[in-house]
Amino acid sequence: MRLENVWLRYHRRGPWVLRGVDVRIGPGEVAVVLGRNGVGKSTLLQVAAGVLRPGRGRVTDRPVRVGWVPERFPSDQPFTVARYLTGMARVAGLGRAAADDAVATWTDRLGLARFRAVRLPELSKGTAQKVGLAQAMLRPPGLLVLDEPWEGLDAATRDLVPELIDEVLAGDGAVLVSDHRGETVRLPGARRWTVADGSLTEETPSADEAVAVVEVAVPAARVASTVARLRADGHQILRVRPDPSTATPEVGSAAPPVRPAAATPEVGSAAPPVRPAAATPEVGSAAPPVRPAAERATEQPGGTDAAGEPATVEPAAGEAR
Amino acid sequence: MTALVRLRLAGFLRTGRALAPLLAGLVALGTLYGGGRAQPAEAYGVSAVVLFPVLAWQTKILLDVEPDVQRRLAQVSVGVAGERVAGLLAAGLAALATVAVALVFPWLVGGVTGPVDPGDRSVPVGLALGLFAHLLVVPAAVALGALASRASVGGAGYGVAVLALGGVGAVVLGLSGSVAPWLAPPIMATARTVAGDAAALTLLGLSVWALAWSAAVVGGYLWRRRAQG
Repeated sequence: MRLENVWLRYHRRGPWVLRGVDVRIGPGEVAVVLGRNGVGKSTLLQVAAGVLRPGRGRVTDRPVRVGWVPERFPSDQPFTVARYLTGMARVAGLGRAAADDAVATWTDRLGLARFRAVRLPELSKGTAQKVGLAQAMLRPPGLLVLDEPWEGLDAATRDLVPELIDEVLAGDGAVLVSDHRGETVRLPGARRWTVADGSLTEETPSADEAVAVVEVAVPAARVASTVARLRADGHQILRVRPDPSTATPEVGSAAPPVRPAAATPEVGSAAPPVRPAAATPEVGSAAPPVRPAAERATEQPGGTDAAGEPATVEPAAGEAR
Repeated sequence: MTALVRLRLAGFLRTGRALAPLLAGLVALGTLYGGGRAQPAEAYGVSAVVLFPVLAWQTKILLDVEPDVQRRLAQVSVGVAGERVAGLLAAGLAALATVAVALVFPWLVGGVTGPVDPGDRSVPVGLALGLFAHLLVVPAAVALGALASRASVGGAGYGVAVLALGGVGAVVLGLSGSVAPWLAPPIMATARTVAGDAAALTLLGLSVWALAWSAAVVGGYLWRRRAQG
């Protein structure tokens, strides 16, 4: 599928939300659309899904079957979960028996089985979001468009999202995902598209895929906001520790804990970390020195750090692959 | 397509919002037939005029019941054209159901009578003319209701304005001696014709007029939808 010089605005005299976006995605590819709130991620996804029509430019070679998971599932509808999903399966062209099978399969997989007889307006936000996921997967899509699919989902279902994406990719489908919370670290092979000022730039991974681990100390009260900001900038948060003196990890991930004094890097083969002692701050005098303290963040190659962010560190010679 | 029509009709009926236009229609018909007995063709002609704004309102409600995002989900599944056509078809079917009620209603309340004078038409002919008058109203009312729907006009206020303008305009512009009768659907002219001589050629002309008007308004609806994205 290809978006050719796509321009879009919502009103005739309104500002252009997308300006000359030109991008292509092929079968078996997944792209993550990054960017801050309101930059046009959802707009781009809706153009790709065929929901919005570009004002200028065009979309070519869109797969016939598209699954779209909107950012907010429209739960203000007078149907039960089962009735709604069966109806949507029929709308997607499945026969009666096939629709029933598909609904049974996806309600089971997404943990919706006990909600089948519940009316949509009575669902919690997360459960409604699962119904949104289910309706997109009822018929295997050639293009799956997920708008912030992790919002409101429980841990078990969050883990299921990459699995669903892999299934679509395995069926030679393409997947577009938007994410402003950094959950897409769960999609290691994804292309990364950043939307800003109406245009789209693709981050090209550097040749050696070098990744560095940076440890940053922040006041405890600002942990959540810092984590959110770093994630929004495309960094991968490996974990958060409460205090340098206690090495017990609070927010877990695949990475083992770091000893504060030695800070031995152990973040897996893909990310050779930087030892704090050897780390060289990149961002000049404004950046505080890197210490073996509270927080570790991995800088992705080609990340979108703003200058002055204390978390930005270049791997020292010999540390990165 | 059929599945989407069914889903939209189910959504319309389950919300209970289907009741409002139906009750309004019944009240209007009750008032109409409360005045005494009339010949079927004459009574049905007026009944069709009364039903025009009711059916347009019903169409607007049916199309508005569906959340915007759900409409987009349907569009992703069946395509832009499929979604538009399914909405209009669902509204048309709902309108036909209301028309069926309107055709039966006067017989239940004793609002119509069989031939009394020697020149009166037989009941089947009266029924056929009544059916014609109502069926002529359906496409025009669906078109007006669609044009007034949220997906077409955006804000609720504009929708009500379009409905009111269309409903009143159809009556005012349809009066005998109107300066621009072709601006409105021929519901008044049809009422006059079926109560009068009901010449075949006139009925054909009215059909063409009604369809052309409906097509033009549906065109406006589709253009608005395109503009709204």
